[in-house]
Amino acid sequence: MNHKWAMAIDLDRCTGCGACVVACNAENNIPTVGEAEAGKARLMHWIRINRYWEGEFPEAQAIYLPMPCMQCERAPCELVCPVYATYHNEDGLNAMVYNRCIGTRYCANNCPYSVRVFNWYDYTWEKPLDEQLSPDLTVRSRGVMEKCTFCIQRIRRAKETAAEEGRAIRDGEVVPACAQTCPPGALLFGDLADPHSEISRKLQDPRRFRLMEHLGTEPRVVYLKRLKGAGQ
Amino acid sequence: MSTVIVGLFDGVETAARASRALRDLSLPAGSVTTISAVPLPEGAVVTDPQPIRFPRIVIAGWFVGAAAGLGLTLATYLLYPLVTGGKTIVSIPPTLIITYEVAMLGALLATLFGGGREMRLLRYPPKVIHDPRIHDGKIALCARVEGDEQARRAIVAMQGAGGTDVRAEKGEL
Amino acid sequence: MSGGTTPAAGNHLAGTDQAKLFTELSRGNLVTTWRWYLGVGVAGAVLLWGVIVFMYMALVGMGVTGYNKPVFWGLYEASLVFWIGLSHSGTLISAILRLTHATWRAPVLRGAEAMTAFTLMVGGIIPIIHLGRNWRVYYALPYPNSRELWPNMRSPLMWDAMAITTYLLGSLTFLYVGMIPDLALLRDKSAGWRRKFYSALSLGFRGTHAQWRRYHVASTLFAILIIPIAVSVHSIVSWDFAMAKVPGWHSTIFAPYFVVGAIFSGIAGVVIVMAVLRRAFRLGSVLTPMHFDNLGKLLCTMTLLWGYFYFTEFLTVWYNRNPEEWEVFSSYGGHYLPLFLTMIVCNFVIPFPMLCLKRVRRSIPLILIPSFSIVIGMYAERLLIVVPSLARRNDPFIWANYFPTWVEFSVMAGAAAMFVLLYMLFAKFFPIMAISDIKERLFHATDRTIGGATVESIAQVEGEEEARA
Repeated sequence: MNHKWAMAIDLDRCTGCGACVVACNAENNIPTVGEAEAGKARLMHWIRINRYWEGEFPEAQAIYLPMPCMQCERAPCELVCPVYATYHNEDGLNAMVYNRCIGTRYCANNCPYSVRVFNWYDYTWEKPLDEQLSPDLTVRSRGVMEKCTFCIQRIRRAKETAAEEGRAIRDGEVVPACAQTCPPGALLFGDLADPHSEISRKLQDPRRFRLMEHLGTEPRVVYLKRLKGAGQ
Repeated sequence: MSTVIVGLFDGVETAARASRALRDLSLPAGSVTTISAVPLPEGAVVTDPQPIRFPRIVIAGWFVGAAAGLGLTLATYLLYPLVTGGKTIVSIPPTLIITYEVAMLGALLATLFGGGREMRLLRYPPKVIHDPRIHDGKIALCARVEGDEQARRAIVAMQGAGGTDVRAEKGEL
Repeated sequence: MSGGTTPAAGNHLAGTDQAKLFTELSRGNLVTTWRWYLGVGVAGAVLLWGVIVFMYMALVGMGVTGYNKPVFWGLYEASLVFWIGLSHSGTLISAILRLTHATWRAPVLRGAEAMTAFTLMVGGIIPIIHLGRNWRVYYALPYPNSRELWPNMRSPLMWDAMAITTYLLGSLTFLYVGMIPDLALLRDKSAGWRRKFYSALSLGFRGTHAQWRRYHVASTLFAILIIPIAVSVHSIVSWDFAMAKVPGWHSTIFAPYFVVGAIFSGIAGVVIVMAVLRRAFRLGSVLTPMHFDNLGKLLCTMTLLWGYFYFTEFLTVWYNRNPEEWEVFSSYGGHYLPLFLTMIVCNFVIPFPMLCLKRVRRSIPLILIPSFSIVIGMYAERLLIVVPSLARRNDPFIWANYFPTWVEFSVMAGAAAMFVLLYMLFAKFFPIMAISDIKERLFHATDRTIGGATVESIAQVEGEEEARA
């Protein structure tokens, strides 16, 4: 049975704390690039918290928008890779194949959400930080693109366990690192192919919208609008 | 190895006069040719009876290239069917582009090899007749003859028209 | 019809000392001065430096460049478009002027065709330079491999690969076949290793009537084929951008816009190269002010055409004020103002008034000013297409500026040095003047008296049947 993995991000609950970013970095062997590189706009975060300002000081309000990879149904990044290093798999995920990538960076240019990041160097983890690296996935070499995978290693692990036990994956069994960590519970992950899953129910919420829908990318990450209170 | 009478002429006029004189010998078509540093218009001194065939090879080359491009693209799609960007596995516009480019490449290579073959290159003196003095403004008129009588008459015709260094050589035109 | 005709014996070739003409036109091949060695040495040194810096970048990572997120493409990709654009020089001069029987094309042919071939070589190397994992570039080749995967033909980069390969092979073939009669000439005039060298390269061409007829047909066919290839190549290069979901890139005008820009920069490049050749090999009697005048007129036309295309692009964005595109174009008046002004001034404001003046076009030092200006302006234009669209793209939160580092400048300087080196080597060992074409033109040229004036008359042999008396 093919899954349809999707994520719902409730902006009413998101506080912009950034715990999801930290969790993702820890789970996916993402290097910390350092202050200098961050100043050159080379952060390697797979999920980022966009912050927009609304209004002027002293009434300025911050709007937080967590942006993982949208896992678009019609992903523009997949189309332009000359070597098939990124393609759409059967679960509806935009798969990234590090070994195949030759680093043309066209996919990153074609992502309107700018969620793809590039390995500018061979990043290192000084001892003892290398002991925190997850053995479930690789450390990428220089010259290779990477991006949020919806924690595909966790999806695979759940699939293997379920296959061993001869059952289907239960709803809530697969939780990406960001969703697992989010303190206010703003991130929800699940299988849209299961009509009874929590995400299928959640995405009937009239607050739902998707980013940059006019571009026709058909993202699998759905946002739920922030409620501004009575009268607004 | 045929006998060819070669004569050097100072310009088109004298060469043309010699060519006209050679017509009395009723040599078979294509037996007389010029060797010159610049192309001479058809009929100025000699005519070339052989039609030019290789443009047909060029057209064939275009189609062969198109087939190759089409085959390459379709093979790539069908052997490795990966979904990218929600597009169909067999995507037509890129197929057209690749087919066109390889078709043009095919036509180019066909022109190169077909033309080269029909120009009968890769034959060197002394197997073929050549005179390097053509680069100093001379035109060499060559007449392939059979037998001593024809050879003698050809020499006389060329010398009478003003040819210098008229001689008999063994080689192909 | 009034006017007398002079007999064909009075053609200009008959009145030329051909041995002297040969020595004059082949000066580059026959005489080597210290200046050539110096030029080759400097170009070689810069190229070597570029190669070393490139290897440093490949070993350490692309982080040593100025690239960042979201500006993943910058100087390298802009240079790629620039160099491929310059390659349209030879195609225009050689192919189009050949097909339109422009009588003044002969001295410019070879230099322009050589420029096409070598700028294409430089442009063809840049896709390998800009990769994050250059050593794995062969993944893009379709051949049976253990990875059990072939490339994605839907990617414009694969179209690039096909198109540039075809164009490179085509322009090299065009250049080589065009040289065969001249190589035969050099063979007959040289001795020793040179004779063997030219003998092998001229493939035994002798100049028989049958050979010339077929040679003419082959040359014409090449000219007919190379023009659509050239147009398609730069259209495909433009589609690297036009196919993307980047505001400012996704525009249908890109294909003709880039082709026009390519021809524009190409002619400017030809003017510069011709001026250098004229000086270096003392070809003043063959490359006359008339040639630069004609090239200047073409350049003036292209200035107007380029200006028109750029205005059209701006007009549609300005009129629609589509927010994503408007942010990109606003940055032209903001952070990218210096680059934008450089482009407008160098591509239009300086060249157009200057090229309208005959005095400028006919003076070699003066026509070099708009030519250099255009080369600089077109480079700025390529940068202006690539960088601001990425720097100010869809999500404002990740906007960032880009500036190249010493690494990118070094590698691109090495690429330019590669062009100079290849060209200098070519001009030394191969005939840089199309001697046979020049002779052919002289052969067709006679002086004709019309009333009280004596004019030069060039015979046009349109078709075979018409020549038969």
